Amino acid sequence: MNKKTTIWQILLYVLIPLIPLVVFWIIPLIVSVWLSFTNWDYISPSYDYVGISNYTNLITDEAFLQALGNTVLFALATVLPILFFGFVFAMLLNRLRRNVTFLQGIMFAPWITPMIGMSIVWSWMFDPQIGPINQFLEILGLPQPKWLTDSDVAIWAVIIVTIWKNIGWAMLFFSDALSKIPKGLFEVSDIEGANWWYRIRYVLIPLVSPTSLFLFIILTLDSLQAYDQINVLTQGGPAGSTRTMLYLYYEIAFQQFNMGAAAAVAVLIMIISALLAFISMKISKKYVFY
Amino acid sequence: MCSIKEVEVLVRANRIERLVLIVILLIVGIFMVFPMVWMLLSSLKTTEEVLGTTMTFLPGDPQWSNFSGALEMAPFLRYLWNSFSTATVIVLMQLFLSCLLAYALTQMEFKGRNTIFMVVLSTYMLPAATTYIPSYVIISKMGLMDSLVGIVVSNMVNVFTIFLLRQNFLNVPKELIEAARADGSSEWTILWRIVVPMSKNALINASIISFIGNFNNYLWPSLITNSEENYLISVGLNRFFNSQGAFGDTFPLIMAATVISVLPLMLMYFLLQKYFIGTVSSSSGVKG
Repeated sequence: MNKKTTIWQILLYVLIPLIPLVVFWIIPLIVSVWLSFTNWDYISPSYDYVGISNYTNLITDEAFLQALGNTVLFALATVLPILFFGFVFAMLLNRLRRNVTFLQGIMFAPWITPMIGMSIVWSWMFDPQIGPINQFLEILGLPQPKWLTDSDVAIWAVIIVTIWKNIGWAMLFFSDALSKIPKGLFEVSDIEGANWWYRIRYVLIPLVSPTSLFLFIILTLDSLQAYDQINVLTQGGPAGSTRTMLYLYYEIAFQQFNMGAAAAVAVLIMIISALLAFISMKISKKYVFY
Repeated sequence: MCSIKEVEVLVRANRIERLVLIVILLIVGIFMVFPMVWMLLSSLKTTEEVLGTTMTFLPGDPQWSNFSGALEMAPFLRYLWNSFSTATVIVLMQLFLSCLLAYALTQMEFKGRNTIFMVVLSTYMLPAATTYIPSYVIISKMGLMDSLVGIVVSNMVNVFTIFLLRQNFLNVPKELIEAARADGSSEWTILWRIVVPMSKNALINASIISFIGNFNNYLWPSLITNSEENYLISVGLNRFFNSQGAFGDTFPLIMAATVISVLPLMLMYFLLQKYFIGTVSSSSGVKG
């Protein structure tokens, strides 16, 4: 049915667009894997193959294990609340039906803002003396943590900022999904006398499950890449309590210039991402209702 | 078993419920915009007002001079221009290249088409940061270190845009393309005259998302630029923030600088709000 595609067409339509993809994605991915078996330090022109010792050093390194734990905590503690609140706000907006554009606009606004700029603002809001958060907590008579300098609390400050920034984004996707649900479905469950929990559990949630899964994957992959807010708020501290795998990678690569070890961290991040994507696809085949 | 009221839940909210909903959502909304409002107010305060331990919410006498003060301390307008110009060029390049590849992947037949699609697919899920070490070396080998061209060149491809366009190009009726081919139209004409105009919304979605990301981009540009004239806005702002120390003397100036960095996209957003919201969620390509 098609005309035969000529060599020139392939050159123009396929090879040219692939050049930047190959140069800045494919080659770097392969080179990263290769580098992770070396001890290259960026400055010297030579390097040695060190086998898997970069990896074995990492998994016995406490800083790495701490970063791994922080990454998991950060992912779970950001993704789940974003999904939950995004869904709840979308549902409330959906109930209002009319005049929601303004409210939607306000809730989505944080997503537009630059993470660096808003993290600078939040770093002052978290200030124990002059920050409005602790002043507010004082009025309520609640404990006022030293948000950014207490190693038990700092990661929660980073998590709060991340949730704040992304709720509106998740909400939009849920709003979109909810608006596509046929109204008739609710009328059927009305007639059957279903209560509100039944409706949410058996009508709403299954219908938004593709959206939830999509958001879950994207948000989790995003959380693995979180950098800007950590850099501004805590720079991985105090005592490494907010250092995620990506932040560790950045420190090893671009502060210590230990490229081999950093590449090993990068490869581990890749493996985690790929696993996540794979598992999510399996789950979607089994449980997600289209 | 159920009261009448319960049956109404999720179907239609009555007036009182609407009021309650609006109040709840307004409170949530206030929390969401509070950092922005607080930033704006702080940028107009004096250092004394900010550092005072008693809560002063509104600035006594708005200090508009904080803005000119911030602009004198670092070339923020230059940074904004850098962000704007690189993001614009990047978006145009991405659209052009993605259109070509998406067209080939959907409308042309050639050996290895599926392989290429699988390769593109596999890079979609991977964090960009994992490519930074080799990319850093590649950029420096190309002699593009510390240049805006380096930022543009390394961001020319956007796998998300390729996907979104591919998804949309698949929906263009085959008959239309066959008819155009029968009329003797070249592939080039079919792509730009038929397929692209029919996918206008997807192109706008992809542009907006990519523009925001590239305008606000921080980590990668901060690695490959190190002279002031090449900073993007987030890079310049963070350097300024770090150079000011943590003791708050210049806090209102930092806030003014932050307002300058946040404002352009915010203005654009509130002017085109409906548009933004429509595009971002419809771009998911998710069956909801």
